[in-house]
Amino acid sequence: MDRRSFIKLTAVTGTGAALASCGNPENDFIRFIPDEMIVPGVAVWKPGVCSLCPAGCGLTVRVMDADADVVRDGQAGIVRIAAAKKLEGAPDHPVNHGGLCARGQAAIQVTYHPDRITQPLRRTGERGDGLYEAVSWDDALAEIVSRLDALEGAGNQGSLTYLTRVGRSHRAALVRDFLVRFGAPPPVAFEIFGDDVLRRANALSFGREQLPTFDLANAMYVLSFGADFLGTWNSPVAQNVAYGRMRQGRRGVRGAFAQVESRMSQTGASADEWVPVRPGTDGVLALGIAHLLMSTGAYPSDAAGRAGALIEGWAAGLPGYAPEDVERMTGLEAARVEGLARQFSDARPAVAIVGGAPLAHSNGLFTALAVNALNALVGAPGRDGGIFFTPQLDVAAAVQSGSPAQPAVALESLVTEGLAGGASPEVVFVDGANPVFTAPPAWRVREWLEQVPYIVSFGHFLDETSILADLILPDHSSLESWAEALPESGAVMAVASIAPPVMRPLHQTRATPDVLLEVGRMLGTPLALPWETFDELLGASLAGLPSASGSGALADARQAGVWSGELPAGLAVADSADTSPASVPVAFTAPEFDGDADEYPFHFLPYSSNAFLDGSLAHLPWLQEMPDPLTSAMWSSWVEINPVTAERLGISAGDVVEVTSAHGTVRTRVVVSPGIAPDLVAMPAGQGHRTFTRYASGRGENPVELLAPMTDAATGALAWAATRVRVTRVGPPDGRLILFAGSLREHGEEHR
Amino acid sequence: MPQWGMAVDLDRCTGCGGCVVACHAENNISTVGDEQAAVGRAKHWLRIERYWEGDFPDVRLKFRPVMCQQCDNAPCEPVCPTYASHHTDDGLNAQVYNRCIGTRYCANACPYNARFFDFFNPSWDKPLQLQLNPDVSLREVGVMEKCTFCVQRIRAAGTQAKAEERDVADGEIQPACVQSCGARALVFGDLENPSSEVSRLSRSPRGSKLLEDTGAQPSVTYLSRLTQV
Repeated sequence: MDRRSFIKLTAVTGTGAALASCGNPENDFIRFIPDEMIVPGVAVWKPGVCSLCPAGCGLTVRVMDADADVVRDGQAGIVRIAAAKKLEGAPDHPVNHGGLCARGQAAIQVTYHPDRITQPLRRTGERGDGLYEAVSWDDALAEIVSRLDALEGAGNQGSLTYLTRVGRSHRAALVRDFLVRFGAPPPVAFEIFGDDVLRRANALSFGREQLPTFDLANAMYVLSFGADFLGTWNSPVAQNVAYGRMRQGRRGVRGAFAQVESRMSQTGASADEWVPVRPGTDGVLALGIAHLLMSTGAYPSDAAGRAGALIEGWAAGLPGYAPEDVERMTGLEAARVEGLARQFSDARPAVAIVGGAPLAHSNGLFTALAVNALNALVGAPGRDGGIFFTPQLDVAAAVQSGSPAQPAVALESLVTEGLAGGASPEVVFVDGANPVFTAPPAWRVREWLEQVPYIVSFGHFLDETSILADLILPDHSSLESWAEALPESGAVMAVASIAPPVMRPLHQTRATPDVLLEVGRMLGTPLALPWETFDELLGASLAGLPSASGSGALADARQAGVWSGELPAGLAVADSADTSPASVPVAFTAPEFDGDADEYPFHFLPYSSNAFLDGSLAHLPWLQEMPDPLTSAMWSSWVEINPVTAERLGISAGDVVEVTSAHGTVRTRVVVSPGIAPDLVAMPAGQGHRTFTRYASGRGENPVELLAPMTDAATGALAWAATRVRVTRVGPPDGRLILFAGSLREHGEEHR
Repeated sequence: MPQWGMAVDLDRCTGCGGCVVACHAENNISTVGDEQAAVGRAKHWLRIERYWEGDFPDVRLKFRPVMCQQCDNAPCEPVCPTYASHHTDDGLNAQVYNRCIGTRYCANACPYNARFFDFFNPSWDKPLQLQLNPDVSLREVGVMEKCTFCVQRIRAAGTQAKAEERDVADGEIQPACVQSCGARALVFGDLENPSSEVSRLSRSPRGSKLLEDTGAQPSVTYLSRLTQV
């Protein structure tokens, strides 16, 4: 026996004796027991999966020893734990290839956040007061089970509603299975900056109801309609990796890139050509380009197949979209339309991207279908430098759950029905979603939730939605539990990002999938979910997948944090059944806006914040203090206004203004930006939380509070870019717009 | 003796800011909060600068990540009365925190505004201190701090290579910013080694140094963003 083992042994035996005599000060011995074998000062690297957005990037987590205040088996003490220290992108991951965005870097602060909910809580005050008492897991689970049993006793299982976020994963599949077996409707997912319009368009155009993957690395020309694909949209790290290769990864070849948008995004800043068009007319430009491509004879109209047949007038070569027509509708000079068409035609392969604001208008589906048709015309689907659809693992088929898929209900219709006196849920489970913050106020989500008799939240933090909960069952962080995602896009091959826990839980939390499985077993009529724990489900799901090492796909994933490869027949999600062309081909309809143009002279554009996305990351201090790429603002909210407009309104940089729509008013500070159209004002989402930890509460303003409940006519999706506002100066700068670049000498270096 | 340097390809950089947060995470840079940030005390060893050109609709915006340029002829070094700011054999502008008495002469001399003064002792709301990197010392009140090219990673790789009786391989050392960059805009390596990637990029006709006419001889080369019309 060497010295080290001897010390360990005495520590363990000594503490064992101490623990046996509970309540004794000798229990302080607990500090000598390491949680696991870890050599002080020596780092080990473990795989992980970033869970802050649905992209599913792989992580490599640096783990070292650290002293943590923990509670173990009811006892508080300092324990030497193996603690995550730094998150890096996993070098060989097929989505992020070693890269990691700012948000992913900050993901570690979720685990170590000082305002995390550390144990189950039961509400004691009024809803929204934030007064809770600690309860044991046994009591909490008994309470939730009795509520669900009561629903079953009344034959009212359908009145359980599960609010969650968009994202494909085994966890989502488990939730769905739980609900189906219980007899409840499928989960209700809501994203303010969601992509339902594009998914729907892709189902119609290409038979795949999912977000596309772009082979930018091999593209010669990229034409993006409003998609912030290098910042916040779709799979940003995968797209950054590919973008770098497109620009400088091929010897002597540099792909070109044009961005169509009327407020310069972080992505638009990298474009060779920046093309502002009137809001809601992006699809017209796409068809104008298609018209020119077809009129040269280089691209026959039938090359676009089904995607083209969805557009009215396509077979005739889109006669209504001559450059002059496009100029009249979009405000873009005919000569520039011709120039874009020439580049799109000459630089092969070319690919078009659409996402974000162009699809958030009343004619969003038309715009998406128009860009899809343009891509189909040049043969982009499935070719190098074009667009792909990442094959998707069909979890239901893989685990043979046999639960039939049911169409999901939209949050808006559920809320509207409930508030109109129709069916309203008896029990609501909230899992990661914060619709009170992210849904337009006109939907009255908070009012709807307040009339729900019983709300359970699985969240890590008190936010505007979970503060209404009667019971909080905090989840582990993604570093403390099995982390996984089934990326919808970002790779050409199928990907399952799966990694075991990186570290032991810091607090008295439990993994939500395991909680659901346990609740399923405890119910009066057990749900007979065939897995004891979540990792059994993962094992069952991956059992049918080929393994590179031969030791099984789950074992591979444990090692590498990812499985990627060819999906066996029967385990891939089939092409969308919705393959029939729309009965009536779609045509451009002028976008509709909420608010009279005289009273509300500006279009209003809320946008996904580079730091906080829709606001779900505003609680992380690193992201609060990260200067915004376009403005250098930190810890702040602002509204961007064109310099000419600002001068006309007598507004200077930093002034306090009121931005008012027909639905609300926010008071914020002005950034005068040359990168925005004179008839448009824009605000980043993310700030303006009333309740969301010490770092985000009461900070800045939420642009969603101004939004009208406008929808895309064809899909019913929220048209979040279709509100009009007016801007009124209230006063001089009040010091609440904080800029990092305020005192830096950044001028004078402008012509590099 | 290697001479460490970096190449920043502005044609790849998309201004995403991943490097900025990676730097905070690796180097235990404390956040100062809104009130102190408002008076210019936020610390970002690496920042993304932005240059607007033109007016709407013919407007352009260019990003430039700026960190300590690890100058060969560093203006920050000779002004330091305590030799806290000094030059290492492998070409780094080192900052010895224990020697620093906070005159801030170096920050005044730095043409890049790359140095940041600690106006407070750092603090983290528990348990955020668990995120701290044990390889990087915390800076106390009254000292100057700045980008080190992640010297802890350089030294660790050097020690490892020495133990294995070999040279450090090109690409073996990645500062945190370089490692996080998805677009591969940042490349780090030995400028003395003519076949290293950073040497190759630094010789690019697109390359230039920031504020070259100050004579500081930076070790960071910026490769210009191309324009295509």
